Amino acid sequence: MPDQQDTPIRILIVDDHPVVLAGLTSMLDTQAGIEVAGSASSGEEALEMLRGRPADLLLLDLRMPGMSGIDTLHALKRAKISVRVIILTSFETDEDIYRAVQAGAQGYLLKDAPQSDMIDAIKAVHAGKRYIPRQIAARLAERMMRTDLTAREVEVLQMLARGLTNKEIGGALDISANTVRNHVNSIIVKLEVSDRTEAATAAIHRGIIEINS
Amino acid sequence: MKLPPLLRRRILVELLASLLLALVFIGLRAYLHNPSRGLPYRDSFARGNADEWKALGGTWELVNGTMRNDSDERGAKLLMGSPYWRNYSIESDIYLLGINGDAGLIIRSGDEEEGVNAYSGYYAGVRTLDSAFVLGRAEHGWMEINKQSHGPSGIRPAQWYHLKLLAYDCQIVAAVTSPSQAAPTSLSFADSDCIHSGRIGLRSYSSGGIWRNVVVRPATHQNLVEMLESARGQGEPRPSNPATEDSEFLGFQPLLDQEQARAHSNASAQNIESLRLASFAKPVTATVQGVVILTAPRLFVQDSTGGVYVPQPKATHLKVGDEVEVTGEVHPGDFSSTMEHATVQVLWARAPMPPVSVTASQASTGKFDATFIEVQGRLKGKEHGPDNTLILDLDEGPQSFRAILNPGRSDYLFGKLKLNSSLRLRGICVVDAEFTKNLTPFVLLLRSNEDLEVLAGPPWWSTGHVVVIVVASLLLALIVNFVYHRIAHWRLQGVLEERQRLAHEMHDTLAQSFAGIGFQLQAIRNRVLPEENPAVLQQLDLASSLVRHSHEEARRSIAMLRPESLESGDILSALDICARRMVEGGSVQVVSEREGDQRSLPLHIANTLYFVGQEAVANAVRHAQPTILTIRLKYSGNLVSLKIEDNGAGFVQGNGLLGFGIRGMRRRAQSISATFQLQSTPGEGTRIEIEAPLPPRVTFSTWPKLFWKYAMEHWINARPTRYSDSHSYRG
Repeated sequence: MPDQQDTPIRILIVDDHPVVLAGLTSMLDTQAGIEVAGSASSGEEALEMLRGRPADLLLLDLRMPGMSGIDTLHALKRAKISVRVIILTSFETDEDIYRAVQAGAQGYLLKDAPQSDMIDAIKAVHAGKRYIPRQIAARLAERMMRTDLTAREVEVLQMLARGLTNKEIGGALDISANTVRNHVNSIIVKLEVSDRTEAATAAIHRGIIEINS
Repeated sequence: MKLPPLLRRRILVELLASLLLALVFIGLRAYLHNPSRGLPYRDSFARGNADEWKALGGTWELVNGTMRNDSDERGAKLLMGSPYWRNYSIESDIYLLGINGDAGLIIRSGDEEEGVNAYSGYYAGVRTLDSAFVLGRAEHGWMEINKQSHGPSGIRPAQWYHLKLLAYDCQIVAAVTSPSQAAPTSLSFADSDCIHSGRIGLRSYSSGGIWRNVVVRPATHQNLVEMLESARGQGEPRPSNPATEDSEFLGFQPLLDQEQARAHSNASAQNIESLRLASFAKPVTATVQGVVILTAPRLFVQDSTGGVYVPQPKATHLKVGDEVEVTGEVHPGDFSSTMEHATVQVLWARAPMPPVSVTASQASTGKFDATFIEVQGRLKGKEHGPDNTLILDLDEGPQSFRAILNPGRSDYLFGKLKLNSSLRLRGICVVDAEFTKNLTPFVLLLRSNEDLEVLAGPPWWSTGHVVVIVVASLLLALIVNFVYHRIAHWRLQGVLEERQRLAHEMHDTLAQSFAGIGFQLQAIRNRVLPEENPAVLQQLDLASSLVRHSHEEARRSIAMLRPESLESGDILSALDICARRMVEGGSVQVVSEREGDQRSLPLHIANTLYFVGQEAVANAVRHAQPTILTIRLKYSGNLVSLKIEDNGAGFVQGNGLLGFGIRGMRRRAQSISATFQLQSTPGEGTRIEIEAPLPPRVTFSTWPKLFWKYAMEHWINARPTRYSDSHSYRG
């Protein structure tokens, strides 16, 4: 693939932590065949930059204030911006990986991965392959087998975790309390928990929902 | 200020709850303080019910649908109603039983005690002494404000009067009518500093009386005006019509003058004891003089020597306390005599006799037959006897006896009496089989329910109570347990939330910084050419791996702080998952074993074990290339130990990165007073063992032991410790 050797891979780094941004930029800049086209500290900023000047590849952090990594992935899809994405995160739950892959990320990397892995990942994804480390791939497979929650169920879970009653949830979602109860029951079955409280905690732990206080 | 929705909701709920509570309280208070609660009121004497009335002195009894006080006590009161009644009227028919006294009604009464004028309120009554209708105010002392003679016929005993008393604001009006005089005699006054509210009462002074048709109605200003006008418009008194028929019908006879009576009687009277010397064979006629101690169901007369039963006396109306002269046929009995076909003549009224205090055993000898006694006993049973009488079964020690109460006002008291209460009873001791039914040696005939006094309620250790107490304490223990666990749960919840927050914090700062610095170091390293400066390169490599290790540690701390590390139940499964993730796809076999009974660990111990375990597992997987990795968690007594063993390469302890990690583990182990052991043989494998002491477990079976141990250590051994101190000083 001689052409790839010639034109460097243009990378946009999206991370809300300046230390990470600076470090990554310095490190990747030393690599031949890779060019850091820019860095953004939020999903919104990244979208803006991509609209102006497309990049080949996005190194995207998952947890960011405002638009999260997953949100950014969805926004990219909506904006029909085609760019390859590697999720670069420092902590992962099964649900994070799963949702990132579902949202269209082609690679998944931990921030403490050695430099060589990172270069491999960038090159592989740029070449159209997927890059997911071995142990993460196994967990992803495991997560894939679990029944998925519907969007409505996630909404219900969200409110459940805030301590709302069925009636209040029904009021907020414009559905009857009985329907809410059905949703809750199916959530309990899907998450394999014994009650609603446990469902809420399990959902938080698995990263299905997040509580922003 | 913006509050979290949950807190806002809780505050709202609490506010609402306290508001509701306040409303209920205010409502209840308003209801209780309502100046017309329970009005209008009409007595139910005719139905034999007077539970709502409370007696202060006197012998108040329901007789033929009327309320009757036979005693000549000065200032006997019977009270009823709400202390918050304000503007109302009370009316009643009143019948005087004696001369020299008065009877009437009280309005706006309060602060009552037993005693002559021991109440505060307004009283209106008919008085025979000066044939007057009186109205006044009592304030623990009598202030007569107004009086007026009632027509030409005056006030006489044995005649029904209708009395009405009305209080509106500070105006008090009273009116009385009688069959002989339909036009009312009225009295009124305006009290400047009046009593504003109070209940009602029936009252008599130095005379018995009968009350009936007691009606209480709320009063308006209109009622007051009407009553005042009718008082003003009093017509000429009509010619009186002596009520002789009435008194004959009731068997009333004018009392004899005392002096006259004494002169009349003394001659032939003998003492009651001596009646028993009379012949059994031939009845003799005798005359005795004594005091009436009981009128119903039987007439008993007693003097200082003993008592006598007088069946079917030819008598006028008698009441307890009357000094009488009885003349009749003497029939001596086993223990007391009977006087048949007797004529009873009232000499004068006197205060009722005091009872003789005896024990039940003494009473059972029969010596006190037909006399007025006082005994104590424990209530063993209660039942309804014939003629609506109420029977109490009592015993005092081994001696059992019965007491018979008249129905009427006693019903309420009877219902309230609790079995096994200790009672003091006054009554007439009777050994007649007609009453005893040969079940008990004697029976006590009580005059009224004032003759019954509860000395002490049932002892608390009755079976029922003990059961209740046991059940209640069990319930309490359950509740306490529940609350305790709730609180523990909340606390844990709080701790977990805080940890979650910390995890986020660490993730956002520490971990990111490590990552960033790592990248930066890598960038520098990329620019250093190996042949130019190999020493720097080496140092950079070390720095990189230190940063990576720190980053990993931070990640581990974050993982540990996240609730799932603890809520998955135990560290063993958490470590097992962690190890399996690390070796995923490799050829290492992970074996997890648990020994002993699993128990929950304090957070800090669990954390440390988890942390050390993770580090050990990571070291093994990363550096030792083992084929088997064993994780063993062992609970034994008050110890928990974690052992991680591999059959990999092993190593020689040095100062490198590995040494860095091991020092970290050792430091963490020390922080929970755990022992930390590391054995590594190159080529054979590595074993890391951490053993931590646990706080003693408090359970139902162990707490006494723990408590004992604590007590021994802190109180009993306090002195020896000091001794040993002094020894050490000397040494």
